[in-house]
Amino acid sequence: MIRLSGIARTFLVGGEEVHALRAVDLGIAHGEYLSIMGPSGSGKSTLLNIIGLLDRPDTGTYELDAKNVTALSDDELARVRREKIGFVFQFFHLVPRLTAAQNIELPMVLAGIDPAARRPRLARLLAEYGLEERAGHRPDQLSGGQCQRVAIARAMSMGPTVILADEPTGNLDRHTGQEVLGVLERVHHNGGTVVVVTHDPEIGARSQRRLRMLDGAVVADEKG
Amino acid sequence: MRLADLFDFAWQVLRSSISRTLLILLAMGIGVAAVVVVTSLGEGARLYVANQFGSLGTNLIIVLPGRSETSGGMPGVLIGKTPRNLTLEDALALKRSHAIRRFAPLIIGAGDVRAGALSRETPVLGSTAELMDIRHMEMAQGSFLPPGDPRHSQPVCVIGAKVANELFGSRPALGEWVRIGDRRFRVIGILAAQGQSLGFNTDEIVIVPLAAAQALFNTESLFRILVEAKSREQIAAAKADVEEIVRLRHEGERDVTVITQDAVLATFDRILRALTLTVASIAAISLAVAGILIMNVMLIAVTQRRREIGLLKALGATGHQIQLAFFTEALLLALGGAVAGLAVGELGRSFAVQMYPAIPFQAPWWALAAAPATALLTAVLFTVAPARRAARLDPVQALSRR
Ligand SMILES: Nc1ncnc2c1ncn2[C@@H]1O[C@H](COP(=O)(O)OP(=O)(O)OP(=O)(O)O)[C@@H](O)[C@H]1O
Ligand SMILES: [Mg+2]
Repeated sequence: MIRLSGIARTFLVGGEEVHALRAVDLGIAHGEYLSIMGPSGSGKSTLLNIIGLLDRPDTGTYELDAKNVTALSDDELARVRREKIGFVFQFFHLVPRLTAAQNIELPMVLAGIDPAARRPRLARLLAEYGLEERAGHRPDQLSGGQCQRVAIARAMSMGPTVILADEPTGNLDRHTGQEVLGVLERVHHNGGTVVVVTHDPEIGARSQRRLRMLDGAVVADEKG
Repeated sequence: MRLADLFDFAWQVLRSSISRTLLILLAMGIGVAAVVVVTSLGEGARLYVANQFGSLGTNLIIVLPGRSETSGGMPGVLIGKTPRNLTLEDALALKRSHAIRRFAPLIIGAGDVRAGALSRETPVLGSTAELMDIRHMEMAQGSFLPPGDPRHSQPVCVIGAKVANELFGSRPALGEWVRIGDRRFRVIGILAAQGQSLGFNTDEIVIVPLAAAQALFNTESLFRILVEAKSREQIAAAKADVEEIVRLRHEGERDVTVITQDAVLATFDRILRALTLTVASIAAISLAVAGILIMNVMLIAVTQRRREIGLLKALGATGHQIQLAFFTEALLLALGGAVAGLAVGELGRSFAVQMYPAIPFQAPWWALAAAPATALLTAVLFTVAPARRAARLDPVQALSRR
């Protein structure tokens, strides 16, 4: 489903080249639950951003759902992102002035979906992520765990091909982190594809496939 | 993104930063209101002048002695001839023209008017019966100068309302005698109070027959001849006739000036329109200032909402959609400002009407259209740069905490 070959990404920092990714080859199958671990600066976020089409590789090709997306225009990328990618961030990134329900609805609004069609989907998402009572609350009235649940519901709202979570528990206490992880695992059990970047070995250990990165390269890829 | 959602999204932004929104609305509103008020004043002045000219008479042509044009050819002056006077004979010759309905020769002087022990210095007009119709004068009591040969006169006069009041008070003036200089005149009519009309107050004048005025001021030459053309279309023909008739009588010299009321009015009209337009443009500058305020606020918004913009992109918003969101926000602000400005402008206009009921203050339609249009246009123009900056934002950088 996702096929990366020879993906490299180099940043220029103060005249010096930083190789965030060096020739990464990676395939992710439909329904996989994959964790990426590695020291800080090893290129985890960069890899996730490229998979999520937020960033472009300097070299290499990327096939998403058997379609080469390496050379798409910015607008085409935005549309693919809208349909197929769901992001979950460490710092939630909810729009502060919008309610939980409006935040969850946002991708559908951007996609131009009719309000009549949005309503049942929104109701289903609110119920699925236990947010019915919080629907009208703004992010500053929600706990961290609730914020991240809103973010996951938002990521799921367009029925994406893959959920990409960059340290989704990094900003939460242990207990809430476990709870959010449970939510992501449920997405996986329902047939979703999930990629989680994490520093927590325990979280990594719970995933079905574990990737280790070091200095811009994938150095280990364990399954089971 | 659907249009309703776009507006909803912008609306949420505006509502969440109320003071910022109100500030821009204020700036936009002031700009639009300024244009509306200023053009109302200008247009009011223009209409006022037009009305004043209208009250002077219809299809009016004014003949005055001397050539007011400075254009080269004035051989008469060069070889030492003095310009000819305009005489009653010149005026009477105008009867030949078929384009002229009527005319009134005019002499003006100042006279000491006495009734009993009271006396008053007033302008004294010498003219004929036709003056009343040409100048649209109305009588309060009695009748105007009697028709007849202007070369001979009866000792009668018509006095303005204020003169009557000052000389006779509450006593009836009609039929009384007044003395002007060393001559006596019987008051046969009192003019209805008309008030000021273009610097000339008919309430404060005394009108005597032309021949009497000639004797009184010891002059043969006319101050003006007022001519009324038969219709609006005949004004040009009447003017040509006047010029030709007088030229023939003056041995071929073009030594009179003929002004049509139309031309004077058109000149005033042009001047006042230009003035209104100029002042309106100056007022419109405040709209540009409001536009710059919008740009500034939007640029700040792009910085403040970096993460939100990054997020929208991550959620699949195209650069185009981000730009649209900013434009919608600016448009809503301009629209609100325009509506508020039009309302405040209307308020200011009705206030001006209350203060000066005589002047028909009213914003011309072009200003009512141009002011909001300029507001919308500046808002959109000044949002181009911030919106493009937002659309170009790199989502990865915008979302990272760095
Ligand atoms: N926009 C950028 N400009 C310059 N250098 C960058 C940029 N993004 C990433 N880098 C560099 O690329 C390398 C990989 O960064 P990346 O964010 O992918 O690491 P990471 O594994 O996610 O680290 P962390 O665990 O701290 O989040 C680092 O050296 C980083 O400094
Ligand atoms: Mg990272």
